[in-house]
Amino acid sequence: MESLGILGAAIGAGLAVIGAAFGIGKIGGSAMEAIGRQPEAANKIRTNMIIVAALIEGVALFAVVVCFLAL
Amino acid sequence: MRKTFANIVVLLALLLALLLPALPMRAAAQEAPEQTTAVQAGREQEGTGQKGAVQEGDLDIKQLVLGHLGDSYEWHITSTGNGEWSIPLPVIIHSPTSGWHCFSSARLREGAEYEGLRIAAQGDHAGKIVERQADGSDLRPLDLSLTKTAAALLLNSVVVLCLVLGTARWYRRHKATERAPKGFVALFEMLVSGILDSVIKPCVGPNYRKFAPYLLTAFFFIFVNNLMGLIPFFPGGANVTGNIAVTFILALATFLAVNLFGTKHYWKDILWPDVPVWLKAFPLMPLIELVGIFTKPFALMIRLFANMMAGHAVILSLTCVIFATVGMGAAVNGSMSAVSVLFSIFMYCLELLVAFLQAYVFTMLSAVFIGLAQERPGKHAAEGPADNH
Amino acid sequence: MGLLQPESGLLFWMTLAFGVVFIVLARYGFPIIVKAIESRKEYIDSSLDAAREAEQKCATLEARSREIVNEAEVRRNEILREADNERKQILSDARQKAESEGECLLEKARRQAESERAAILDDAKHEIATLAVAITERMLREELRDRDAQTQLASRLMEELDPKNRKTWTPD
Repeated sequence: MESLGILGAAIGAGLAVIGAAFGIGKIGGSAMEAIGRQPEAANKIRTNMIIVAALIEGVALFAVVVCFLAL
Repeated sequence: MRKTFANIVVLLALLLALLLPALPMRAAAQEAPEQTTAVQAGREQEGTGQKGAVQEGDLDIKQLVLGHLGDSYEWHITSTGNGEWSIPLPVIIHSPTSGWHCFSSARLREGAEYEGLRIAAQGDHAGKIVERQADGSDLRPLDLSLTKTAAALLLNSVVVLCLVLGTARWYRRHKATERAPKGFVALFEMLVSGILDSVIKPCVGPNYRKFAPYLLTAFFFIFVNNLMGLIPFFPGGANVTGNIAVTFILALATFLAVNLFGTKHYWKDILWPDVPVWLKAFPLMPLIELVGIFTKPFALMIRLFANMMAGHAVILSLTCVIFATVGMGAAVNGSMSAVSVLFSIFMYCLELLVAFLQAYVFTMLSAVFIGLAQERPGKHAAEGPADNH
Repeated sequence: MGLLQPESGLLFWMTLAFGVVFIVLARYGFPIIVKAIESRKEYIDSSLDAAREAEQKCATLEARSREIVNEAEVRRNEILREADNERKQILSDARQKAESEGECLLEKARRQAESERAAILDDAKHEIATLAVAITERMLREELRDRDAQTQLASRLMEELDPKNRKTWTPD
């Protein structure tokens, strides 16, 4: 039973990371596109990109922590 | 100045690459005490860390990594043929039954008991000091010991103080408008003005001067601790920012900075936001916003902790690959060692980036949260703080 | 999980370390550095502004000098033209004056000649008259013995000699 819990935790952490990776990847892609369109706004775009990526990462980290607790 | 910075980064990376051959010994040897307590292997049987790693296999690697990520009562430096080299650190205990205890952790080596205190071998408090009670059960007393992480923390704090006060001394002795600084002060100035211009001013808004000292302190505190954690031998190597207590205090400081100095508008936005009445009369939105007050610093805490801990864990695991494959023959072990070293170099470069990035992100998010709490009415929430520089 | 539980001892040390670092740096460290950096930035900005201003001033000075040169040139041309005009004026004036003076002189000479001629004529007339009187006296002395006839004749002659009645009298 306990090994099943560990399996669940590992799968959960993996899923959370997949979600976060997808989200951050989309942000990064859009940000690069935006910088390509408007190179003069690169600084502002980068700042906002980091902030949004950090928010997504935060959610993913919550999930990882929950998995950690289930371990 | 940017060129200087690039040079320094390259130098650091080269230095780390050169030091890598020394790393495995340290990593394996360092955790020897934890192995004894946690895995109950005989001390003589281990000899060097390498031998122990071979015999314990996978379980040993997990314990080794977790042991490093945790804390210890003495600062292990290295193991030689003659024995362990480690710095004993002061143990400070306040027990509800026997009062204050203060002694060197050398007295607790190898499971010894002193004044009724010992390091628990197993159970809930494995690896921590417990006190044997009269009825035979173990009690965890109030433990203010200067552990390895705490000692590294103090050391790194001194480093931060020296860096900043040294730079400040230069500025006190020279007129800023006379000539630009050189060398270290110039590097430091570049970092400070970069953080100030690209993070603090745009994110906090017009009264950034009030918060600049806190944000800069947080940045350099985290940055120095991260970098010191990457140095694989004595003065560094401790997993400081990968410790939840450390990041908890940092996040708490940001929490206080955000909420103690929040404007009336900020609190109004939380308790009575501009949404339809049915959303706030039944206090759904205020509830969510109140939770949000706590989740923001919580995310800060977890982010820094998880990133640094994961970095240390990955580098240690990669190093352990060498010892895990010793039993598989010379060819496999040799090729895996090469792979391990290559991956370690890569991870070290990545960790250098992460060390900076996490300090930067922590500072930036703190600045953004502070800036949001500094908002005055009549400004656009989305781009108000960003447009004020 | 042990890693996720903050240790009370570490919390204490972290609070202490971070608190001390923050207080010391917020008091003696970063304000000085930030102030120095900002003052340097301000200084650089003001220097750049001053340089730009100086450049602008230089440009305006150059424009001004060019303007002055142009103005001087225009003025010179004007003066030259004026001088030319004046010269012509003076010449024409002088010529006019000379002409009028000459005419005046001519007139004067003519008038003098006229008056001289008149005087000569008068003289001649007078002489002729005297002559005529004397001749007539001599001629008439024999003819007119009586006083009355003489006087009558004389007065008649005098009347005829009067310039008012000259058309009736032609001495030559």
